[in-house]
Amino acid sequence: MSLFGSVNRMVTITINKNQYLAEEGEIFLLTALRLNIDIPHLCYEKALEPYGACRLCMVDVVTCGKTTMTPACTIKVHNGLEILTDTPEIIKHRRLLFELYLAEAPKSEVIREMAAKYGVTKTRFLKKIVHDDPLFGKCILCGLCVRVCNEIMGTSAINFINRGPYTVINTPFFEHNPDCAGCAACAQVCPTKAIVFEDSDAERIMQSWSGTAVPLATCSSCKKSYAPEKLMDKVLDKLDPAIIEELRTLCPECRRKYITRMEIGRIPRS
Amino acid sequence: MRIQTSEDLDSIRKKGLQKIQPGGIRIGVGTSSCGIAVGGMALYNLLDEIIQTKNLDISLVKTGCIGFCKEEPIVSVSIPGKALVLLRKVKPDDVERIISLALHGDVPSDRVLCTISDWDHITGNLVYGNEFDTFPEYGEIPFFAHQKKVILRDSGLINPEDIDEYIGIGGYFAAYKALTSMKPDAIIDEVKRSGLRGRGGAGFPAGLKWEITKKAPGEEKFIVCNADEGDPGAYMNRNEMESDPHMLLEGMLIGAYAMGVSEGLIYIRAEYPLAIERLMVALDQARTYGLLGKNIFNTGFDFDIRIATGAGAFVCGESTALAASIEGKTGRPRLRPPRLTEKGVFGKPTDLNNVETWCNVPVIIAKGALWYSSIGAKGNTGTKVFSLVGKVDNIGMVEVPLGTSLHSIIYDIGNGGALGKEVKAVQTGGPSGGCIPVRLFDTPVDFESLNQVGTMMGSGGLVVMDEDTNMVDIARYFINFASGESCGKCVPCREGLKHMLLILNRIVAGKGTRQDIELLRELAETVQKTSLCGLGQTAPNPVLTTMQYFKEEYDDLISPEA
Repeated sequence: MSLFGSVNRMVTITINKNQYLAEEGEIFLLTALRLNIDIPHLCYEKALEPYGACRLCMVDVVTCGKTTMTPACTIKVHNGLEILTDTPEIIKHRRLLFELYLAEAPKSEVIREMAAKYGVTKTRFLKKIVHDDPLFGKCILCGLCVRVCNEIMGTSAINFINRGPYTVINTPFFEHNPDCAGCAACAQVCPTKAIVFEDSDAERIMQSWSGTAVPLATCSSCKKSYAPEKLMDKVLDKLDPAIIEELRTLCPECRRKYITRMEIGRIPRS
Repeated sequence: MRIQTSEDLDSIRKKGLQKIQPGGIRIGVGTSSCGIAVGGMALYNLLDEIIQTKNLDISLVKTGCIGFCKEEPIVSVSIPGKALVLLRKVKPDDVERIISLALHGDVPSDRVLCTISDWDHITGNLVYGNEFDTFPEYGEIPFFAHQKKVILRDSGLINPEDIDEYIGIGGYFAAYKALTSMKPDAIIDEVKRSGLRGRGGAGFPAGLKWEITKKAPGEEKFIVCNADEGDPGAYMNRNEMESDPHMLLEGMLIGAYAMGVSEGLIYIRAEYPLAIERLMVALDQARTYGLLGKNIFNTGFDFDIRIATGAGAFVCGESTALAASIEGKTGRPRLRPPRLTEKGVFGKPTDLNNVETWCNVPVIIAKGALWYSSIGAKGNTGTKVFSLVGKVDNIGMVEVPLGTSLHSIIYDIGNGGALGKEVKAVQTGGPSGGCIPVRLFDTPVDFESLNQVGTMMGSGGLVVMDEDTNMVDIARYFINFASGESCGKCVPCREGLKHMLLILNRIVAGKGTRQDIELLRELAETVQKTSLCGLGQTAPNPVLTTMQYFKEEYDDLISPEA
């Protein structure tokens, strides 16, 4: 046991014929990235279960001389694990997948940069052009926004709509969704920076999500708005022990000031 | 009443036999979806009206489908002491004649398809009689002669809405034997030794799956029947459920006991309303007799089955998407492992088998593994039901031992192309399968041989193509289907199939180039190799096989200047 919890056993794995020490049970994608072995990926997020939808991180797992293409985000490190990350076959498929992504999200700079690393600068496929696309031609439907909203925030304000090639992501019926807490975790995890929102004085407008407007909480001290009201309620409800009443309506800045004043005795402790 | 002892079961058997052979005239009308589609229900109603108004001593029943779809509506007439007569393509105008002739011990000879003097239900035997020997016997009709009916043994002969008739020909006796005299492990062992492989397409050994589910840790487990048959042109499972629903329930009951599971689910597509209705009736009747519910056969074993209806997504036939759909979530596949046997419906270990796999179980228990494994080929035991459709002369539901050649199915049973046209190819396995050219028709129909020629068994659709069929258009049709049914989770399937369709549209329209054909092949390979679930991994098969076997048809569509 270390200070940060249990450390797993270190085991030997082979990547592209080279041997490395790695932590048993770790997601192989993370191991490889830590070892500076580049594996492109779009739908993996540490806080969520592996989803395996982007198919870019597929690598060859070698067992008894046979190889199986598997997403690196779904492989757990174990002793003797043998992986090939850049066979001509894998590179070939990756390049074609990048062409598909370039056609699907022609406006995404992230995709363009990732693809360029593999020498893919244009696509042979018909580019998807959607007028007034709320995600500005950048969405690759990896589903991270949907999953973070549903599984981490417990909100489910957005979801997949339609299926197959017609799939899009938005609020139900493309209407303002009062369930949205305005946390913007969706924008935070989006790998292609497709999700757009804007804060005004009193509101946060989730422009990508049918213009859903979320009121912002105003600091009772400095009168500036600082965070979506519903998000604050959610967070404050979760704090255990609960925070003292006087701090509930303060912005982080004023909260620090208040606590400091309390510490130096300018404000009596409640 | 509740059936608890073998005497109880036997008394119902006698009652059921009395219904099948009532000692008077019995007329059965084929009223599966296929029969109804060509007027079977109207015939039934007409017959019923006449029998009621004239107060005739004729027993009229709805039966399932005997399998010869081309000859529907089929009406069976049974006159005591005489052979059962199947009448073909019966029209409403024939109804009066059928009744009046039957009352005089005769049948309309111009409508006779064949006669059945005795029938082996495998779990029981029925003798009808030998008269009418001027008509062809069942075994003399080529369509029937080359088949071996194990799963379809009762189809078209008994009333699927009457449990007594199923018990009458020996139904539920296998379940009785299993529950009262066999240890669960012995049942699993029997199924393993029978060599039964999953009939949903992949051919995983059924007994092994049962064993894995049984050994999976956890108290609560599920068994599920996959009745989400969605391949274009395939309707085996629908027919099995519409014609003989108790066979499925009995199979599941035996499986549940073997695996120690008390909850069963049938996941069935909502597009099968008649199958759902008949299953509901069957479930009610089985519960009334105590064959489902608490303390079955007084053994202390509890088991019941619920029906979950799908919302019409092809992808929900994939095991993990199916589990998600049952849970009320969007039908999207997830990564495997964990497999369903480990983490299935509601996170519990789940055994998922296809309708037909379950239907094989009662006969395996009734007749033993040795008997079962003597049918079919080594490693591919038993029979398989196929829906033989497309441009073939004899369209219908066909059951043959595994290992039978495609040639035998398409020519001996199917009588070659419809309207005298040349058969060019056959498509097996639906959108996941491929097109096999006529020169490879010696291929035996078993799991491995079909894989070798680039296609797969699938659930059992055989779509025949003739000289007029354009194979590029066929490939386009299937890619259009698969793209429309893609769940949209992973990029190769969602985007890759879409672009394959766009390229194929271009080629079919005569606007394709050589580069298009190369790009199509490249894309097909990537979709096959990198898709998340079976739908995407197999969807390019129709393109890849038509490119392999019918390359010239692609070339013909490329304009020379392009």
